[in-house]
Amino acid sequence: MEFLNFLIIGWAAWLLWRRPERERLAFLLLVVACLLMALGFFIGSHGSLVPGVNL
Amino acid sequence: MALSEDRLRSILAWVVIVLIGGPVLGAVLLGVLHGDSPCILCWAERVGMVLIALTGLFVVRYGPRPRYLGMAVLLGVWGVYMSLRHSGLHAARDVGQGFSAPILGVHTYVWALVIYVIALTVIGVLLLFVKQIGPAEGAREPGRAGRFAMGLFVVVVAANALQAFASTGPPPWFGQGDPVRLSWNPTHWVWSFEELDPPYVSLRGSWTIPRPDPSVADPDPAHGPLAGLPVLAVSGWERLGAPLAGALSGFARDSATGRCLVTTDRFGVVLLDSATSRVLHQVVLDPGFSVDVSTLAGAAFLGGDTLAVVADNKSWALLRPDLRADERAEWRHFLSWDGRVSEVGLGRFQTVRAHQMYVRSLAFDPAAQQLVTVSVPNPRHHQLVVSRFARGDMVVSSEFEPRAGAGLTLAPGRSLADYLVTGATVAGGRLYAISAAYSTLLEIDLQDQTVRGAWAVPGLVHPVGVAARGPQLLIAQSDGGIAVLPKPAP
Repeated sequence: MEFLNFLIIGWAAWLLWRRPERERLAFLLLVVACLLMALGFFIGSHGSLVPGVNL
Repeated sequence: MALSEDRLRSILAWVVIVLIGGPVLGAVLLGVLHGDSPCILCWAERVGMVLIALTGLFVVRYGPRPRYLGMAVLLGVWGVYMSLRHSGLHAARDVGQGFSAPILGVHTYVWALVIYVIALTVIGVLLLFVKQIGPAEGAREPGRAGRFAMGLFVVVVAANALQAFASTGPPPWFGQGDPVRLSWNPTHWVWSFEELDPPYVSLRGSWTIPRPDPSVADPDPAHGPLAGLPVLAVSGWERLGAPLAGALSGFARDSATGRCLVTTDRFGVVLLDSATSRVLHQVVLDPGFSVDVSTLAGAAFLGGDTLAVVADNKSWALLRPDLRADERAEWRHFLSWDGRVSEVGLGRFQTVRAHQMYVRSLAFDPAAQQLVTVSVPNPRHHQLVVSRFARGDMVVSSEFEPRAGAGLTLAPGRSLADYLVTGATVAGGRLYAISAAYSTLLEIDLQDQTVRGAWAVPGLVHPVGVAARGPQLLIAQSDGGIAVLPKPAP
């Protein structure tokens, strides 16, 4: 999934650079990449919001 | 000093260059030159930095629109959370331990925290000085720094994509908690779903440990893990004569004086005479401040006049009758006080095998000068662990999981951890432990770490403590009843 996320980020950067009129699509890709990153962290931490500590 | 929009775009281009060309490119180089592979959390943190840089490029291209600024702040806050969450996994390990190689003595996940804090600080400072944000304009051609930032960004993202492909694989695979070193040889690539095994989701992760509730334990010995146990019949019943505020939660007897020490579920500690009818001393511990004391669960005499109590979270307190106790000094320790008790120690037992497990018992081994606790199982840790702590410093000396001795047969699929020990005492070198689950008395040899004997004790209701009295064992219940049994011969 990390590989996919970098492709999405690369796509967004390419739009910024070469197709600046596609701002909405580029920003949408940015949001998708954020969500994918959060999902990866969520999976990696097994949904645990806090590490092994007392609250 | 106000910052024009053009100036802001130029500065942001350089910020992107520093962020992408520094930590993000540096992380790739760590992989290429040293074989370093990020774990799944590291990947998320690295991607977060890349996304902050990408948001910066949006500003460079389109100007400081509010949604870009909002996204940058959100990413910064999320990054701080991720790196704190990640560092928390390793920060409390023993000295010199961490995950992967440190850089300048600091591990990468801690560096991530530093970088995110700096990024948020830079965002704040720039916003502090920027002029009024004007109406949204169309895209503007970036300057030289902006073009360089975009080019560098694409190159570094491509390098990351390459590393991610080798290290984590194409979708649907994703990063691993314990990655292997980076290799460009495909035969060494590990693509896995290991983070979904086991596929549990819990907001507190492994620290979701319910407190034990012995009152709901099955008391029927026939349902226990040890089959065909002999019955140890109750030979008589006694009762605590002194009134207690709250239910009994721990019980001990001093073999030298016959005095009894009891704890209650309202933080009460009461020293009784040998007939258990007269209160000699009583206090109510202040459970807050300094050391967090949860429900008191066990009591023991440590020799002399020293009294020990333990809470189910393994916090302990040492008390001593003291006719000259100083009220000004003791007020902070007790919610209620008879004026003749001093607190001489307060602390927490640290365990290894019994980590993340509560206890419901405390005993004292006078020969070894050790305090003894027995863990109670929970849904995450199904173990019965005997922990011993040196009297001198209250630090763990040894821990073991007892095994069933000769003549004891565990039913298929069952274990000694099915028992829920709620009271324990040491007599004659043996640990006698009473289990509220299946009303079973266990005799554990502290030397060879085996359960030497086990007896069904029918008729018990929520036992909370056990003590020796000559040839007898006393098993106290939460309602103040005390079952008298003959002590089994070793």
